Amino acid sequence: MSKKITFTSISDLPPLVVSLGTTEVNPTGSWRYLRPVYHDKTAPCIEGCPASEDIEQYMYWAARGDFDKAWEVLVEENPFPAVCGRVCYHPCESSCNRDHFDQSLGINSIERFIGDHGLDFSLDKFKLAGEREQKIAIAGAGPAGLAAAYHLRRLGYQVVVYEKEEKPGGILQYGIPRYRLPKDILAAEISRLERFGVEIKTGVQIGKDISWEEFLQHDAVFLAIGVHKSRKLNVPGEDLDGVLAGLDFLSRINKGENIQLGKKVAVIGGGNTAMDAVRTALRLGSTPAIYYRRTRAEMPAILDEIEEAEREGIPMEFLVTPVELIGENGALKAMKLQKMKLGEPDESGRRRPVPVEGSEYVVEVDNVITAIGEQGDFTSIPEKLVEWGVVKSDAFGQTEQRPVFAGGDIIEQPHTVVHAIGSGKKAAMAIHTYLNGGDIAPLTDKIRVGDKGGYSFLRFRDGHEGDPIDNREVVTFEHINTSYFTRKDRHEVPELDVGARITSFEEVKGTIDREAAMDEALRCFNCGVCNMCDNCLVFCPDVAIKRRDDRFRYEIDYAYCKGCGICVIECPRSALSLIPEGK
Amino acid sequence: MNHVDIQPRIPEPELMYSGHLACPGCGASLAMRYALKALGKNTMVIIPACCWSIIAGPFPYSALDVPIYHTAFETAAAVASGMKAALDQLGKSDVTVMAWAGDGGTYDIGFQALSGAAERNEDFLYVCYDNEAYMNTGIQRSSSTPFGAWTTTTPENHTKERPKKDIVGILAAHRIPYLATVSVAYPEDFIRKFQKAKSIRGMKFIEILSPCPPGWKTADDQSIRISRLAVESRIFPLLEIEHGEKYTLNLEPEGISVRDYLEAQGRFKKLSEKDVEHIQKEVDRKWEALKKRIS
Repeated sequence: MSKKITFTSISDLPPLVVSLGTTEVNPTGSWRYLRPVYHDKTAPCIEGCPASEDIEQYMYWAARGDFDKAWEVLVEENPFPAVCGRVCYHPCESSCNRDHFDQSLGINSIERFIGDHGLDFSLDKFKLAGEREQKIAIAGAGPAGLAAAYHLRRLGYQVVVYEKEEKPGGILQYGIPRYRLPKDILAAEISRLERFGVEIKTGVQIGKDISWEEFLQHDAVFLAIGVHKSRKLNVPGEDLDGVLAGLDFLSRINKGENIQLGKKVAVIGGGNTAMDAVRTALRLGSTPAIYYRRTRAEMPAILDEIEEAEREGIPMEFLVTPVELIGENGALKAMKLQKMKLGEPDESGRRRPVPVEGSEYVVEVDNVITAIGEQGDFTSIPEKLVEWGVVKSDAFGQTEQRPVFAGGDIIEQPHTVVHAIGSGKKAAMAIHTYLNGGDIAPLTDKIRVGDKGGYSFLRFRDGHEGDPIDNREVVTFEHINTSYFTRKDRHEVPELDVGARITSFEEVKGTIDREAAMDEALRCFNCGVCNMCDNCLVFCPDVAIKRRDDRFRYEIDYAYCKGCGICVIECPRSALSLIPEGK
Repeated sequence: MNHVDIQPRIPEPELMYSGHLACPGCGASLAMRYALKALGKNTMVIIPACCWSIIAGPFPYSALDVPIYHTAFETAAAVASGMKAALDQLGKSDVTVMAWAGDGGTYDIGFQALSGAAERNEDFLYVCYDNEAYMNTGIQRSSSTPFGAWTTTTPENHTKERPKKDIVGILAAHRIPYLATVSVAYPEDFIRKFQKAKSIRGMKFIEILSPCPPGWKTADDQSIRISRLAVESRIFPLLEIEHGEKYTLNLEPEGISVRDYLEAQGRFKKLSEKDVEHIQKEVDRKWEALKKRIS
């Protein structure tokens, strides 16, 4: 600030009227009644991600070609980027603000590129604490169990994961077909965890190879055994030869078993297991078809999977349900179907299918694969922990019995890989606070990411104390200043030709290349987070915004800022807020 | 978070100080900031009576890190001519002389001096920051005030009936070496044109559409948005004209409705549907004429 100049007598005045002081003597900040502040907010994709990946941040780094850094940001919340880049149903993309502008960002394809980029990377730098003596046992080496193991290991705990199958991975190993998730990708991301010190003991089932009591001897336990029992159709003929349970069918194929299917294969159901089963049957040389009791719009499967099945030429019969499986000498021959129509919405909000009287008809089939849902097998778990077919728990997987925590498909949440990963992370945070004599509840507001149930591990580990930013505020499309973006279509993901697909289990979708990943990441609005575009700095009429000395972001000189608010309006991504002065 | 190397979008040195006396959200103050970033320290500024007479601060303080010569309303171009001649006599011909006047001092009161200097092809840069009325004295209409705008001398129910004077066309008719229009919403284009003007010998004229929150009856935070709408609606095309003949259009906007621009401002609140249609028609007609001139 320049000095005030005072003239005490005529002789002090210069001979010419020359101004040698500067207007910095005027603290024009006193005019201000609204105060602009830098205020990072939550991007809707992050809120939409059940694993709360800091998508906006890794897009920032990916756009600048720093994929090492992007990978680090991603793995801070999720140890399976290469897996999720392939199998996730990417609710982030349906939450993306760019969807209202042209097309949502191809987050999943960038995640996949980043995941593949870091496939051989070590997790060592994610270790946050020295070794702790407390031992934690995890039942189930699926995405939930392994995600919990990862975060607990980071916090220094001794972690052992018991897996009843021969190989770890759970649904990733035995459910999802190879053409969606190649086994070497899965193996790479799991072995990385093992190198990080997570002990995985396969072929060990809780309640059989190790008793519940023995399991409970650990300082804390995490249950993530998944749901594997296929629901029955409950129609006559279900035990005929040729009738297969969907998940069991997929599991046997994934284990390398050679299953001989007949020509005509009917897959009953509209979920992901149904899509996986039908596309697998196609690859085994059959002519499969989907039979679903509602319409395409109500199908619970990921839209991508439905579209891929359609692209592969798989017929889908809607509004039909099997009422009888007809056999001959104990072998399946045909299936009697009843036509349905949609009635009133049920508790899931979808319209309930109701039978159309007298509409039955018969189709010849060689195999029926049932895929109308799975349920848990809780025979090894104390009864009091289970209610309505799920393990009772709160949002952080805390059950009624300490120190038992639960996650993944056995608790009440959508049965997706990314929900499982999110639940493993949340349980890890709850276990850590529990073992340190605390409670996760008071922390939830500090670590919450938006309002859809996601919590940030990054904030949990270092940002949950005294952080003034309310990171629950989610940026909507109305907050984006679209003048600073140009329309641009998203990069397409390379795909295998349909002809090549159906004769092998080769991976259907490819990884976009580096240039495409950078270019696609540049489409990101970076909602709610300053990416140093300089707009605020450039448009300040009062020269009151300066680059910080470390040249990272900016600071506002409130001595002079008149509070016009141009910086707030012209911020393309709503990384500033205008608040009433004096509050 | 670490960060990557910053590439500043516009020159970083600031030659304008904080604490100047412009209203919050003033387009003219931002314009001066960009202009000096482009021209650099070796610049002298001549300011006739206008908002900037006040913005620059009272004696003994100045808002600029370059010399300012305050002068009478009608004399900016004459003083700039003299200033340039004096500098030449002193052998300081590398100094950029910039006359910086409002629309009152350009379209109306300083018009004779400007036309004379342009005809003589004096070697200085004349900049009109055009806020389309005498804002500093209380929002009286000028010959730059557009059709249908409210001012204190064209009050509600008697808004301005005559169209805005075509200063760009008039200056083009003088066949000066360089003529450009710039907008504070397009800082890169703005700075490039000032740098280009600096490099050209002879008379340069730059017209800035300069939003005025109190005079245009807009919120303080709308100045950039309105500047952008003016360009996008083709009301204010960003162009360059060399020697009165070579026209270059710097941005080809999609052409949104003028309504978006007009409705954003309180001064156009009283426009009838017919008025808006008339304005749209005029904008379209002028745009077509302009397109024909693009080489």
